Amino acid sequence: MTISDVVKILEGSLVEGDAMSDRAVGLPVASDLMSDVLLVDADDILLLTSLASDQSIRTAHIVGAMGVVVHDSKPLPSTMSEVARQLKIPLVSSPLSKYESCVRLHAALAAEGGV
Amino acid sequence: MRRWRRKAASEGSAVAEHKPVILPPPHASDDEIIARHPPIPSVATGDDSPLVIMELLQRIKVREVMRTGIIVLSRRDTLRRAQELMRKNHISGIPIAEGGRLYGIVSVDDIIRALTGGWIDDIIVKHMSTHLIVLEADMPLAFALKYFENYNYGRFPVLDKEHRLVGLISQRDITRTLLYELAVELNKLEKKTAKAEDSDSDGSSYLLREWSVVHNDLENAGKAANDIKVILRERNIDRRLTRRIAVAAYELEINICIHSHGGALTFMIADDEATIVAKDTGPGIPDVVWACQDGTSTANDWIRSLGFGAGMGLANSKRVSDRFDIQSIMGKGTTVTCKFNLKS
Repeated sequence: MTISDVVKILEGSLVEGDAMSDRAVGLPVASDLMSDVLLVDADDILLLTSLASDQSIRTAHIVGAMGVVVHDSKPLPSTMSEVARQLKIPLVSSPLSKYESCVRLHAALAAEGGV
Repeated sequence: MRRWRRKAASEGSAVAEHKPVILPPPHASDDEIIARHPPIPSVATGDDSPLVIMELLQRIKVREVMRTGIIVLSRRDTLRRAQELMRKNHISGIPIAEGGRLYGIVSVDDIIRALTGGWIDDIIVKHMSTHLIVLEADMPLAFALKYFENYNYGRFPVLDKEHRLVGLISQRDITRTLLYELAVELNKLEKKTAKAEDSDSDGSSYLLREWSVVHNDLENAGKAANDIKVILRERNIDRRLTRRIAVAAYELEINICIHSHGGALTFMIADDEATIVAKDTGPGIPDVVWACQDGTSTANDWIRSLGFGAGMGLANSKRVSDRFDIQSIMGKGTTVTCKFNLKS
């Protein structure tokens, strides 16, 4: 599954990272608590969060995430896409809730044989 | 603060622009002589002030600069007694305090007026200045400089949180402290430069970097950890090990930002070992064993709303480190050291 696939499945828009839309993503991790995310010991995760702040991007960079999805169409601070650009993290905005995203991504990954 | 910076900067510039004086020939006209004295070039002011000075002014608190153990008098002492103490101790002002509570101040001006007016043997309470401007001990030095700029006083009494007199601060005290702190910073910079040059010359893998972390500046918190991750990636350090080091750096950086008065994060690579040192300037942790447990936190709701403050920072840092150490002194600060074996 790529970032482009994620955008389609989650009915979202790619706010930052056009050049990285074909990047493959691994395990989705959903959390608004960044210390929880820092505990995840897995490569290539996709961070699903409702935390619309620079720290979501910085945390994603620290754990080596392949992308960040912000939910509920939350307004994104202008600095967030700038940090995403600097740290080369694709940033997606989705109108869905985190729960709905988890359900849809799980189904898509199961179809792929990924879970 | 602005005035002080301007003054310091222009003095610096005058020194930098100094050239040997060439006397004009005896027959030179006034215009020729004037032409030989161009204006002193303008200098950078305001936001162009060196970052290190601005950081020092925020980091250093009034209590670290003020003079303690000062001479005080009571309201029933006489102005003559104040005059004697000023003469013997070469001071120009004495606070009037009883039981730690400040009532006023007597200055040289008050003494001169008493001598000429004939009331030098009166008790102090009749003539002391009572409309006082005071500073608080926990204020950053930047505040003190602003006060000196706004009010034409040579010194300010300093009170603690319980409104007790704890010291006096003058511009001279500030200058002395800043000169000392700048010398310390310069010394650190010179050492870093020397080490970086050593590394370049012998091709070793030595590296030393340091970042300042400002209290509550969550907009910039995490930048140091992100930089550290980039450094490790460029050195082709194992991906999982890179993540562990970056996680520790990030947690410690956020901790300094949200829990301390501010501090610095240092990252070093030497002899196949990476070291992170997170050092802050207070307030200190009363129980480090408790603080290192999962889920223990003193964070407020604002910090929690930003995705932090779950009380996992120190525990996470300890979990990912090969070696972990924490030292904390109440009122002084906390130093956390995380070490990682790069060979394993």
